[in-house]
Amino acid sequence: MIRSMYLAAILVVLAASGSHAHGQEATERFIPIGQSPGQSGKTTLIGSIQSVDAQGRQLTISTAAGASKISVTERTKIWIDRSASKQTNSLGGVADLQAGRRVEVKWDAKDKSRAEWIKVEAAP
Amino acid sequence: MGELPPANASHPVNSAIGLETLQVDSACSVDQVGEGWMVSCVTLSGPQSWSRALAPLLLLTGCQTASAPEPTPDPKAELIAKGRRLFFEETFSGNGRTCGTCHPAANNLTLDPAFIARLPPTDPLFVAEFTPALAKNFENPRLMREFALIQENLDGFADLENRFVMRGVPHVLAQPTSIASPAGPRTGWSGDGAPGDGSLRSFAVGAVIQHFTKTLARVPGVDFRLPTEAELDAMEAFQLSLGRQNELKLPLPLKGTVARRGQALFLDNKKGKCNFCHENAGANANFGGGSIGNANFNTGVENLPDLPARLTGEKVPRDDGFRQPGDGTFNTPPLVEAADTPPFFHNNAVATIEAAVGFYDGDTFNNSPAGKLLAGATGGPLELDATQIQAIASFLRVLNALENMRSSLVALELAASGRVDEKRRNDELALAQADTHDAAKVLEGASLHPQAVAHLKGAGRAIHRAQRGWYSRAQRLQGALDLLKKARAELVEGA
Repeated sequence: MIRSMYLAAILVVLAASGSHAHGQEATERFIPIGQSPGQSGKTTLIGSIQSVDAQGRQLTISTAAGASKISVTERTKIWIDRSASKQTNSLGGVADLQAGRRVEVKWDAKDKSRAEWIKVEAAP
Repeated sequence: MGELPPANASHPVNSAIGLETLQVDSACSVDQVGEGWMVSCVTLSGPQSWSRALAPLLLLTGCQTASAPEPTPDPKAELIAKGRRLFFEETFSGNGRTCGTCHPAANNLTLDPAFIARLPPTDPLFVAEFTPALAKNFENPRLMREFALIQENLDGFADLENRFVMRGVPHVLAQPTSIASPAGPRTGWSGDGAPGDGSLRSFAVGAVIQHFTKTLARVPGVDFRLPTEAELDAMEAFQLSLGRQNELKLPLPLKGTVARRGQALFLDNKKGKCNFCHENAGANANFGGGSIGNANFNTGVENLPDLPARLTGEKVPRDDGFRQPGDGTFNTPPLVEAADTPPFFHNNAVATIEAAVGFYDGDTFNNSPAGKLLAGATGGPLELDATQIQAIASFLRVLNALENMRSSLVALELAASGRVDEKRRNDELALAQADTHDAAKVLEGASLHPQAVAHLKGAGRAIHRAQRGWYSRAQRLQGALDLLKKARAELVEGA
């Protein structure tokens, strides 16, 4: 009996919490590019958008280490970093992902080819 | 029954409540010599030997000691001290709040309505009441003052008028034991309190953005500054230093009849069933296959009828817990520190530990996902009668009192050690005073151990006199230590 409970509980807990640490999205939006604690440069790519494949919903990011491709999914959050102009960061969309703009991309812990969130520098 | 440590031996598990500090007093004597004090110890062994505890105390009172060691730099202690200063003093160029505004040292690092009522109207906790830019959609002053509820935008800041939750302030004690899980750290009431990597270290960044801002625009560099990497390191170290550092190992050899019965019910997997999710009265779950660490559960608290905040008619949106959108689960807090840190549950639903235990006997819990899981695995719903609820709550009160006494003893010994400056010494005496007071209060609240309460009140008076001046401070601290140990001996066998 206890064993079945143990197994069931494990399933409930894992289903509820996922298999990786979960950073809070609500306040993440306000953090400028490159300053996400414990993440920036570790589980994120920081660079500029080299090209955009709108049909394939794929970005090529140019970083100091080379170019990387990453997919933008329906679940990817896109935020516009306007901190340089002393304005509040805002929600963005795929249309804001334009070649040449500086970005930080957090990859999905379960699939590094997908973006969990993207912070893109506001257009000048 | 669990084992108490043998005399003059360390007991790493139950050192969580400081049982090892009980062993030394009979081996030593303290005598007045001129203007100072002479300590004589027959045996000087064990982790908290009087030789270390009282040698600096002799210095405090002017007695010469040839063997007092020079304090050596301790990088970890320095980091913790830096974190302490940041936690209680740093506003991060925001609206005036510090971490200590909601986690005050004087109130077990949490908030309750009684503490809030004693604050001056200019306290930064009330910033929404006197800062026009924060007057709307930042806090609800009525719910803050009446129920100690804080406004949070855990599901995003896009609709401030309608999308928010009202939560209590969890204490931040014993975090080395309470936030680790196989799925990563679990911070805050729903386990997702921190941005970035979700760690305790990152928590302060989210807190500054949510609670420290000067305006609702929340622009870094304008409305606040974000903590630096070094500051995050220091604040994490400080928070991890707070309170209990180890899990208990139950059962304890309790003397009180009702508390002892409460412990048995707590550990009974067919009756109280508490130990499944609060193993050893902590924050970690164990369903028979070993600890699975800190976990989230949907216990149905949001479904309780007559939730106090909602009775006011104020807008209190449903709190969906973990993630965005939420899955209805909330994090499991440790119970050792529960009795003196009310109100209880993420939404401050009930004000007493008895009501918190009673919640698990009700329909709301038994019909919740967690309640059904428990019922399915143990053969039926959780049913407790009033005497059993009282017994479990009494057990938790005694655990809390023991933890307070441990904390008070450590603080008194540090204050007497001469290793800290005057401000820190005063802080430690204030902590010892507060914890001693709390120990008496949680016992007295259920008419438990009246003799221990008398000792604790005596200890409190001795600490108060030691706080007032240097004259006879050593004697007064010694008196307080003795009384605290007598009080503890009233609660546990072999102490």
